[in-house]
Amino acid sequence: MRVRPRFYFGGALIALAVAYLIFSAVRSTSEYYLTVAEVNARQAELGSQALRVAGRVKDGTISWEPNSLTLKFVIVPIPDPAAASPVQAVSIKAPADASFGVICVGQPKPDMLAPGRDVIVEGKLGADGVITATQVMTSCPSKYQPKQSQ
Amino acid sequence: MPELGKLALAIALVLAIYSIVANIYGLRRNQPDFVVSARHALWSMCAMVTIAVVALWTALLRSDFSLEYVAAYSSTTLPTVYKITSLWGGQQGSLLFWTWLLSIFTSIAAFQNRRRNPEIAPYALAVLAGVAIFFLGMLNFVTRPFDFLAVVPPEGADLNPLLQNYWMAIHPPSLYTGYVSATVPFAFGAAALITGKLDDAWIRSTRRWAIFSWFFLTLGNMFGARWAYEVLGWGGYWAWDPVENAAFMPWLVMTAYLHSVMIQERKDMLKIWNLSLIGLAFGLTLFGTFITRSGVISSVHSFTQSGLGPYFLTFLIIVTLAYIALLIFRSNQLRSPADFESYLSREAAFLFNNLFLVGIAFAVFWGTIFPVLSEAVRGVKITVGPPFFNRVNGPLALGLVFLMGVGPLIAWRRTTADNLLKSFAAPIILGVSSGVVAAAMGIRQWYVITALSLAAFVMGTIIVEFRRGMNARRHMVSEPRAKALVNLVAKNNRRYGGYVIHVGVIVAFVGIVGSSFFRTDVKKSVHPGDSFTIGSFTLRFLGLKQVETAHLETATARVEVLRADGREITVMEPSKLFYKRPQQPATKVAIRSTPFADLYVVLAGIDDVGESATFEVFLTPLVFWLWAGGLLMVLGTVIVMWPNVRERAAIAVVLSGAGAPAGDRAPASDAAPGGD
Repeated sequence: MRVRPRFYFGGALIALAVAYLIFSAVRSTSEYYLTVAEVNARQAELGSQALRVAGRVKDGTISWEPNSLTLKFVIVPIPDPAAASPVQAVSIKAPADASFGVICVGQPKPDMLAPGRDVIVEGKLGADGVITATQVMTSCPSKYQPKQSQ
Repeated sequence: MPELGKLALAIALVLAIYSIVANIYGLRRNQPDFVVSARHALWSMCAMVTIAVVALWTALLRSDFSLEYVAAYSSTTLPTVYKITSLWGGQQGSLLFWTWLLSIFTSIAAFQNRRRNPEIAPYALAVLAGVAIFFLGMLNFVTRPFDFLAVVPPEGADLNPLLQNYWMAIHPPSLYTGYVSATVPFAFGAAALITGKLDDAWIRSTRRWAIFSWFFLTLGNMFGARWAYEVLGWGGYWAWDPVENAAFMPWLVMTAYLHSVMIQERKDMLKIWNLSLIGLAFGLTLFGTFITRSGVISSVHSFTQSGLGPYFLTFLIIVTLAYIALLIFRSNQLRSPADFESYLSREAAFLFNNLFLVGIAFAVFWGTIFPVLSEAVRGVKITVGPPFFNRVNGPLALGLVFLMGVGPLIAWRRTTADNLLKSFAAPIILGVSSGVVAAAMGIRQWYVITALSLAAFVMGTIIVEFRRGMNARRHMVSEPRAKALVNLVAKNNRRYGGYVIHVGVIVAFVGIVGSSFFRTDVKKSVHPGDSFTIGSFTLRFLGLKQVETAHLETATARVEVLRADGREITVMEPSKLFYKRPQQPATKVAIRSTPFADLYVVLAGIDDVGESATFEVFLTPLVFWLWAGGLLMVLGTVIVMWPNVRERAAIAVVLSGAGAPAGDRAPASDAAPGGD
């Protein structure tokens, strides 16, 4: 096989550039993706790390103040789907030990936010155990088909 | 009727298996009758899957809730058009739809090749039948569309309201068409590897399929983006969600493939690369389905964890390993004869454009599976959001755009400095001056200035190309300008259609840059009569009106939009919808679109007494051009795909002559002046 230095040199240059971009972007943009239980277990080490926390909205904890666009609620762990019986109601009692308050200011209340719904909260955990969220995303109902949803 | 559908799917599976056996037996034992019979079996398979699709459609239209699928995704109050689109509203139906498209495309490929390509076509059809067996196996044994409910409910659960939208009616079929039609070039590539007929016959006979697939992937991504923009109400159109990435990666790889096959046709280089790309494109369509069905990658779209994941993963692994084994087995025959001669050559530009496209695809892939990797390696799930993708792909996109300008103008093999100067002087001046104008207008972000300069540079090169071609025609056949332009495009549709697509890409790129960097938003809770401002607009909330129908309740806000000078421009009516079944709110955005900027008003919430309302308003410059660019890409692709007499003749020669000398194989489009 003939040596093809131009091929390899040019290709390696672009590959290195891609690798460098990925490496540096991962370092500066990564967020821990944790469940409520994991946040609870690692509370001490999280500090000001950017987090994405998956949890379930606890019944009766949603408060929405439209004038100041302040949304507050409490998240609890999402029960293991394998353990849940198929006829279980939407809201599920969670273990009392793992729960976090969430406060989100300046964003409209998501349409789908409701007690018992699963959410992903993006933000940071404060020393007081409250997550200050920049964004609250609601998971769509389970029948929602991803292929159609983009 | 549903029983018939069930039966038809079972027969289809048997026919697909028979077709493979008959094809291989017929080829090995040299019994052409069996090859013909295998082809007939594929056509019958297509008829069977069609019966199943008609059966499911009938059940949906008749609201036959004895079928689990109909009860889960339709209702008596669902508008008829969405009863039809419910076919792909759920998992079983969408797999059935996929299989239907696959059987149609397989049948068309079988018909096209009934006399052509006698050596590789039967193997390609066997590969297609193999893919069909996988999907039919899923439909028969794993995720059945024709399962009955023990107790027939009086009413169905209805289609998700977010999917009751016209973009959603056309987005999945487009994307599926793009995904599934990529299987045909893949199958021919695999057949070339199996048979060892590694000249570019497999590329030539599936070129239209590749463009067709690319076209529908483009449409699918565009429709999806448009749907997200109009329906989801967050002001954007692309969030780098795994589901979006799953549709974007095959598009990137197909784009690379369409460019690199041109080098193989011209230079007989990159054989192994092209075969790898088409394998990758097909693998990514399976990968996309895998990640969206398996639940291994979390997305805000909470995937239905359906148990399909392991099947798709297994199939993906088998296909990948088999394909890699074939590539290794044939690697001696695949070695390309030569290096390219100079970095300043069209081959080099095309190769680097390929590397950029694949690099972007890799970055997207990496970001998508990063949570899984980090969990495996470090024991903690780390996600990378949109900032990651923007930061990596932003610079790579600049490199790609630059090469879009260089590739078409630079000569094959090598270019002299003199030549470079002549070709690129005007585009470079245009590019630099655009950058200066942008800076003078107060734009300070280096990325935006560079992006605009490069966009202008590429436009400049395309104008130069068109002018060269036109002038050549005017000299040779002395036509007037307009006629020369029309004839130029008509006679070299692949080449100039390609440039129209490039213009579309650049226009869309400018739209993306403008909307990403300059979007502003205001969130405000107001009482009727209150007003607030965004940019140079003043918005006044006039009041709410509420309407209730059998299907849903609607609250509509009236918002008056005033210009800075106080003149009323329009009244916008964003609304909030409350669907009754399933009980779910949805948002209907009001958009006022102009080439300068879109005003995008969301009624984010109303308080319980119905007095105040919360609005989220976005002012997004230039987003209009993203959609305009999409339309241009469509137009360009139509030009490219338009039947071309010369090209057909060339294909006929190649296919009958079985290996014409290399010199005669220059594609018709390269006969245009200026390129060489």
